[in-house]
Amino acid sequence: MRYLILIFALGISLIASELHFEHDFNTALQKAKNQNKEVMMMYSAPWCPECNYMKEVVFKNKEVVAYIQKHFVVLSLDVQKDTLPAGFNFPGIPAFFFLDGNAKEKNKIIGGDKADKFLKSLKALK
Amino acid sequence: MKKTLLSMMLCINLLSAFNAEDLKQLKEDDECPMCDLSYADLRGIDLSMSNLRDANLSHANLTDILAHKADFSHTDLSDAIFERSNLKGAKFVNAIVKHVNFFEAKLWKGDFSNAVIDRCNFDESALGSAVFDKNDLTNSTFKGAILYKTIFHKNVVGVPK
Repeated sequence: MRYLILIFALGISLIASELHFEHDFNTALQKAKNQNKEVMMMYSAPWCPECNYMKEVVFKNKEVVAYIQKHFVVLSLDVQKDTLPAGFNFPGIPAFFFLDGNAKEKNKIIGGDKADKFLKSLKALK
Repeated sequence: MKKTLLSMMLCINLLSAFNAEDLKQLKEDDECPMCDLSYADLRGIDLSMSNLRDANLSHANLTDILAHKADFSHTDLSDAIFERSNLKGAKFVNAIVKHVNFFEAKLWKGDFSNAVIDRCNFDESALGSAVFDKNDLTNSTFKGAILYKTIFHKNVVGVPK
C-alpha cells in the first residue's frame, strides 16, 4: 500500500513538473478564460534547434514550468503544419505571443533563451 | 612636429580603412564578396543572407546586427565585434576568427568548419547545433554559452566542458 501511494505521488509530481501544450487556438483561448490566465502562443518547427532547446531544456526547468503553469495556458503551433491565426507578425522562430482576453497580441518575445533569462523576460511582461 | 602630424594622419587613415564604395555596395545589394570593410561601423545593420565571402571585416563593429544565414566564409574577422548579434545559420567556414567578440550572440547552427579561431569571447552566446570542425578552441572562452547539441568534431582541440 505504501508503495502504491509513493508511486501515485511520484506520478502526480512528474505530471505537475511538465508543461501541457495545447494545439488548438480556440481551445487554448477558452481554457485560459476559464482559468483566468493568458495564452502564451509559441510558433515553432521541429527542424528549428532553438525551438527544440526551448521545449527540451527550458520548458523542463522547474522554475520556468511553475511560473508558466501559474500564469499561462501554452498553445504550441507548428509553422509548417498548423493553421496560424492571422495578424501575428514574427521575424523568425521561436516566437512567443502573449494574448489578452480578446485574443489580441499583448506582448511578444522573439527567440529563445536560457531558462533564467527567459524567466526574467516572462516576469518583465507582468 | 611634421612626423607627429604625419603619424596622426596615418592613424586616422588606418582607423577608417574601409572602402566607402564597398560599404555602399553592401548596403544597397546585401552582398559584398572580397570587399574591404575593415574598421567599418555596421552596428544594427541587416545582413541576413548576405554574401561576404573573402571580405575583410577586421576590426569592424557588427554589434546588434541581424545576419541570418550570412556567408562569412574565408573572411578576415580579426578583432571584429558581434555582441548580441543574431547570426543564426551563418557560415564562418575557413574564416579568420581571431580575437572576435561574440558575447550574447545567437549562433544557432553556425558553421565554423576550418575557421582559424583564437582568443574569441563566446560567453553567453547561443551555439546550439553549431558545427566546429578542425578548430583550436583552447584560448577562447565559453562561459554561460548554450552548447545544446553543438557538434564538436573529434579533431577539435580545447572543446569546452
